[in-house]
Amino acid sequence: MRKSGRGKWNKYLVAGLFMTGLAVFLGILGFFWTPYSTTAMSAAERFAGPSLLHPFGTDNFGRDILSRVMKGLGTTIVIGSLVVLFSAAAGILLGAVTGYFGGIVDEVVMRITDAVNGFPSILLGLVLISIFGNGRQNVILALGIVFVPSYVRIVRSEFIRLRDADYISRARLMGVGRARILFVHILPNIFSVFWVSVMIGFNNAILAESGMSYLGIGVQPPDASLGKMLSDAQGYLQSAPWYALAPGLTIVWVVLGFSLFSEGVRRRG
Amino acid sequence: MIRIENLSVAFDGTEVVKNVNLELADGEILGVVGESGSGKSVTALTLMGLVSETAQVTSGRILFDNVVLREAGKPLDKALYRRFQGAEMSMVFQEPMTSLNPTQRVGRQVEEVLRLHRDFTKEQIRARVLETFQAVGLREAEKVYASYPHELSGGMRQRVMIAMAVILHPDLVVADEPTTALDVTVQNQIVELLREINNREQNAMLFITHDLNLAKRICHRVAVMKDGCVVEQGETEELFRHPKQEYTRKLIEAVPSRLKRRVSYKSCGIGVSPEKESAGDGASERERRKESAGDGASERERREESAADRASERERREESAADVTSERERRKGCAADAAPGQTGEPAVLQVRELSVFYREGGNSLFAAKRHHRVVEDATFDIYLGESLGLVGESGCGKTSLSRAILGMNRDIQGSITHGSVRPQMIFQDPYSSLNPAKTIGWLLQEPLRAAAALDKSRAMSKADMEAAAYDMLRRVGMEEFYFHRKPSQLSGGQRQRVSIGQALITRPGLIVADEPVSALDVTIQAQIMELMQGLQQELHLSYLFISHDINVVYKMCDRIMVMKEGRILEIGETEELFAHPGQEYTRQLLCAS
Repeated sequence: MRKSGRGKWNKYLVAGLFMTGLAVFLGILGFFWTPYSTTAMSAAERFAGPSLLHPFGTDNFGRDILSRVMKGLGTTIVIGSLVVLFSAAAGILLGAVTGYFGGIVDEVVMRITDAVNGFPSILLGLVLISIFGNGRQNVILALGIVFVPSYVRIVRSEFIRLRDADYISRARLMGVGRARILFVHILPNIFSVFWVSVMIGFNNAILAESGMSYLGIGVQPPDASLGKMLSDAQGYLQSAPWYALAPGLTIVWVVLGFSLFSEGVRRRG
Repeated sequence: MIRIENLSVAFDGTEVVKNVNLELADGEILGVVGESGSGKSVTALTLMGLVSETAQVTSGRILFDNVVLREAGKPLDKALYRRFQGAEMSMVFQEPMTSLNPTQRVGRQVEEVLRLHRDFTKEQIRARVLETFQAVGLREAEKVYASYPHELSGGMRQRVMIAMAVILHPDLVVADEPTTALDVTVQNQIVELLREINNREQNAMLFITHDLNLAKRICHRVAVMKDGCVVEQGETEELFRHPKQEYTRKLIEAVPSRLKRRVSYKSCGIGVSPEKESAGDGASERERRKESAGDGASERERREESAADRASERERREESAADVTSERERRKGCAADAAPGQTGEPAVLQVRELSVFYREGGNSLFAAKRHHRVVEDATFDIYLGESLGLVGESGCGKTSLSRAILGMNRDIQGSITHGSVRPQMIFQDPYSSLNPAKTIGWLLQEPLRAAAALDKSRAMSKADMEAAAYDMLRRVGMEEFYFHRKPSQLSGGQRQRVSIGQALITRPGLIVADEPVSALDVTIQAQIMELMQGLQQELHLSYLFISHDINVVYKMCDRIMVMKEGRILEIGETEELFAHPGQEYTRQLLCAS
């Protein structure tokens, strides 16, 4: 029996793929080519409104906003992906070990994750950045650490659920090694659950990175970043609304697109 | 009087019940038997008005004393049904734990039926509930009244459910697999209770079950369902003796039911004989005995009834006894080494003074750890080529013993000796014993890879492994193309075949089979048992066969070991043990099924 909305393609998946695909394309393109230089200033073209020459207008230094959005988008997507990669990998490792073996390691790791969870993630990110210092790598590291506990919890509970499954007992009986049981026998069975949290985690990472850049502790100028652009534009909200709208709507576009995409994947089931 | 006329029920356009005609008179018990998916439950739920709203009655109608309850093309008349449900017709479900609300006292839940349908005062309601509790054999009615479901045993919970069903003296009681979730000895008591109620109240009873033995014992008439159709119905005796349909015959043959007749009525216990008090699980033990004491009266009735049948019974008994002996002979003949012990076959497993412990409190750092001794002082051998049955009620230590033998629990005293290849296991639930993420081919090869990783000398080339997997697939009776399928694409029986193949591919001498067929339909059960016997002869295997189903054990095993409360009560040759059980408990256990 097929529920409505199920099947290979559904509208969530189509819309999500389109939105995410466009964002990723523009972001990656931004690393190699942008319509204008992202740093070239032009006093004559300050605060030009959206036009054919500058679709998103120009900013307070006369820089082309579309070019800067493309560049910032690329940075944001790359940072978001690396954060997810780092935290998911650490989460799998820690969750697998704690969930499967339990005992003292489990207690210690879980109490640490409880402690990490006890602080608002953005605040903890700030603290970590102030320890590590600014810079792209440190943003990734800080956010990565902040997001690890959420993955650990999910992976751990799945491993606890499956460690006593009959087919895992059988694998033990056959004499399959521990590492192989963890990562060859159990891991493939938790992907459907894990995938959902990776999807949510990616959006959270993008929002967190934007938030930190907005506060001025993420990516540093002259590098473009969507969050930094938002904070720069704040003073000109009345006079040049397009300046804030362009990066703001871009963030919405990416997050919404990815949410739709993950929902589509989930429904495809 | 209930009439189901030409009833068809469809879900999303697929008919799952097709043109079913059933009639049920007052005082009659009609059994509906069939394998899972045969439509027997949907029929009952439609009758009760409990089938989900997506179900459509596409033809026919249901009549209750000439009132049309349900008609083709018309939606469910909820108001009409509400009048009938509870008062005129009621239902007993399979799982007594989930059918009761765990947060409410049992008495309150039973009262609810009365409050909905009768204008009684509080005192009247309470008196009626207590009276009904007594009537269903709940001795300490007051205590039960104030208990929560989890404080009651499975059998008592089912009695409460039955009390709830009969408290308004309905004309129809539908019992959907009412004993499937219970231990064998308790099963017996519940069946007797239902029969007794039917006798006393002269109501109509629809008894749904997959267990033909059960249907045979309680039902006046039996309808056999398959793929949504009633393929045959008739008087129970007649239907079992002269099944007209091939399918019915197959069903009857699939159940190794000849056993029950082989047990002499003498050994089947007059009343309840005194049982030695044993330490430990006192409360539940006492409960059990009380329950069986409550059934004394019906026990006597049954004996009288059966006296009438005895002549024909005996006839059949002799017939089938001859049958069994020849089968046994043949089995022993085929495998010259199948006769254990006497012929001096070597032991594949030696267990000496084994005690198994169970640590409570789990892995938590702060939990107090308690040490339980769950198996005490077990000593036995399993010989090459033999099947040793292990029987006992749930919680008797069967599983703990088998886990210790398999090396899954190392918290033991005493010794376990087995051959060089570790014993392997076949699990009960075919749906959870195969890794759903892998293909059948991968699963069959994994034991070989694991063995190679442990012991370099057993390393095989990739091609050899694949060949071995294909060979095993063929041996367990499956087509080659299943090699690339995943477990989710297989039926329960097929999964169990793969499971067996996976256990056998490293050629262990001993296989521990924990209820390997109890999750399967009867016809599939027979196939899997046949497969296991065939492989046993082919590969000179020994089985430790754990089951609560005495019939299955009887068919599969050369010797039987009876366990109770962690101890081995007795071990004996199958025939011998059934004919002359050495212990009262063994007799109860063997008679119960």
